Amino acid sequence: MSTLVLPDLIPTCRKALEQVQKFQAAAKASVSALVMKDGKVNAALLDQQQEAAHGYAWLSTYVATLTQMLEWAERLDGSGRLGELEGLILQSLYGEYLAQMVGGIPMSQGEYVRPNDMGLTSGQVHALFNEDVSKLRNLGNSAEVRVAIAHHIKDGHHFGNSALDDETLEMVRDQFHRFAEEQVVPYAHEWHLKDELIPIEVVNQVAEMGVFGLTLPEEFGGLGMGKTAMCVVTEELSRGYIGVGSLGTRSEIAGELIRLGGTQEQKEEWLPKIASGEILPTAVFTEPNTGSDLGSLRTRAVKEGDVYKVIGNKTWITHASRSDVMAMLVRTDPNTKDYKGLSMLLGEKPRGTEADLFPAKGMSGGEIKVLGYRGMKEYELGFDGFEVPVDNLLGGVEGQGFKQLMATFESARIQTAARAVGVAQCAMETGLRYANERIQFGKALIEFPRIACKLAWMAVETMAARQLTYYSARTKDSDQRCDIEAGMAKLLGARVAWSNADNALQIHGGNGYAEEYPISRILCDARILNIFEGAAEIQAQVIARGLLSSS
Amino acid sequence: MKILVGVKRVVDYNVKIRVKADNTGVETANVKFSMNPFDEIAVEEAVRLKEAGKVSEIIAVSLGIAQSQDTIRTALAMGADRGILVQTDVDLQPLAVAKLLKAIIDKEAPSLVLLGKQAIDDDSNQTGQMLAALLDWPQGTFASKITVTGDGIEVIREVDGGLETVALTLPALVTTDLRLNEPRYASLPNIMKAKKKQLDVITPADLGVDVTPRLTTLKVEEPPKRKAGIKVADVAELVNRLRNEAKVIP
Repeated sequence: MSTLVLPDLIPTCRKALEQVQKFQAAAKASVSALVMKDGKVNAALLDQQQEAAHGYAWLSTYVATLTQMLEWAERLDGSGRLGELEGLILQSLYGEYLAQMVGGIPMSQGEYVRPNDMGLTSGQVHALFNEDVSKLRNLGNSAEVRVAIAHHIKDGHHFGNSALDDETLEMVRDQFHRFAEEQVVPYAHEWHLKDELIPIEVVNQVAEMGVFGLTLPEEFGGLGMGKTAMCVVTEELSRGYIGVGSLGTRSEIAGELIRLGGTQEQKEEWLPKIASGEILPTAVFTEPNTGSDLGSLRTRAVKEGDVYKVIGNKTWITHASRSDVMAMLVRTDPNTKDYKGLSMLLGEKPRGTEADLFPAKGMSGGEIKVLGYRGMKEYELGFDGFEVPVDNLLGGVEGQGFKQLMATFESARIQTAARAVGVAQCAMETGLRYANERIQFGKALIEFPRIACKLAWMAVETMAARQLTYYSARTKDSDQRCDIEAGMAKLLGARVAWSNADNALQIHGGNGYAEEYPISRILCDARILNIFEGAAEIQAQVIARGLLSSS
Repeated sequence: MKILVGVKRVVDYNVKIRVKADNTGVETANVKFSMNPFDEIAVEEAVRLKEAGKVSEIIAVSLGIAQSQDTIRTALAMGADRGILVQTDVDLQPLAVAKLLKAIIDKEAPSLVLLGKQAIDDDSNQTGQMLAALLDWPQGTFASKITVTGDGIEVIREVDGGLETVALTLPALVTTDLRLNEPRYASLPNIMKAKKKQLDVITPADLGVDVTPRLTTLKVEEPPKRKAGIKVADVAELVNRLRNEAKVIP
């Protein structure tokens, strides 16, 4: 049987990757020259040169993705599991990303960053093209290849081996896949359309399945399973519905805050309850005038006797009404204007009801109606003398809040990247189903190359985002820093989820624009991924700063 | 009371089955495998009986290639206590499976054996009946309800005419039907616990059973594609076509 898989695919990709790394080094030198002053990244220059710096962040994200995908293919190949589909996915990704690196990387629709933007000369661009790079760019991602990929995924059961290589994680995936398929998928669209909270019974089931204690240590009632397991669970639940996949996010953030920043008493008090799902936490950070620039937030906490009195406004608080404890980032030192005066409080509150969303004294709030990402609802909150016992100051020392929060960001980014992969998968499968069912001009839509190629590219990029996410999780699990890797996984995953959803809706034609069809919801759900947990722009900024600061 | 449950690794029920190009069987490369759904029901029933305090130990048994261990681990994660794999690369047919299970039962002496009524890969629906015969035990097949009574069990069977209730003395063998229960999801804590549970691997030779296939598969083919129907103008044409083309009426 003839195959479109290029001969010597893996060695060719390996040699191409070496070329790409040289290209990346040239870009780094060039962008560094634009943003460095006295041997350090200069904040003002970095802002001035955002296009170049963010372009470098995206280019580096591509290089990291190509690296991880090659390692993925090599792992599969080493155990005789690199099938035709996996080979085609690898070469398609290499072909397309190599072409984009030269022709323009889409940071978003209408925002393409080109070598020129990073100060690279045409000579440096030409130097990238050796035989291997040219071969992959010209043949790797041909329309024929994409049609062949579409043919492989047509049945909707096999989108390439994800190479978890761990039978426990495979079992976890199977169980959560089935759970989502049976308990979430049939109801998600109705929850969305009615704009309802996810039923508490489902939240309780998720708790019973052990999701909220997944990464917490066993001594505090958790399972100590690590971030890779968290990714698998999050991916499968988010594939069902982003709302259910996001139930664990707040537990993950609060759990990490307390595990890393809390006193022994605070860990013993809170972690077992978070792990069991007995209490649902939420994260109270953002303010009306403070989003990405958290250091400047203004909500005050004034110590009076044995309580802090909280005064100020917070917004975009997910699941605020139905939660029991709030991790609140507040200013305890009024003489500061930056992150140094911030502290983290654990504010307890009774669960709200439909009649009284926020029964706590000194606290009020209202719902923010949103396009998607429903199921937990978004709120703006007002605090006017809301009391938090001084014992609930995280870590027992003021001024640590920002640092404590930053320590949790790697985990939160990884979890969000996994949510993006789940939504991307969901969008792809939804588009695929329609493409198989819908007959026009006497044949199924998938028989048309334009439709087949869209679906194939979804399969390629979803696998790429998945592998980058697993890589950041594995890095975190081996106790190494992974802030940049996790940021890249989130950045790429969010773009992939959105483009999958947009293209899957396009496949639906007019029907996709009808609220009745789930793809209309998936589009709205996917849109948030580029915004929350670090908007794509700030994400690129952080990645660029991190990469350019390191030698 | 000790229960023995049989669990078989089969191609996942969601997978669209494809026949191999050489017609020797079905495609299994890059195909997802999972526990036979009827066996999942059997495991669930055993776990429920244990939770109700009627059972002290559940042993999950699988027979086949090394990867069948994954199927046993799933049973352990659902609540079975320990597992046994009879490992072999030989294609096991119902009679061989029944003989292997009998050999294990002779050693383990369970009071109740729960099996799926059939496996969704070969749809044989033979193992349970053959095993009951080899053991000379009472059998309740196609069970939709199992109740433990004083010294026996009562099984409601789904038969063509409706429901039939049979009383069995123990030890007994029951095969499960679809409506017996809805299997649970293995939770993360139970998946972690399952990793530490005992799983013994033995071979057919250890049990002294000859598993040589008795049946030969001649050919595996896709079912013929259904052809488009036609519209008839009136009853006369319908009768005419049924009589002369379809030849279903004289």
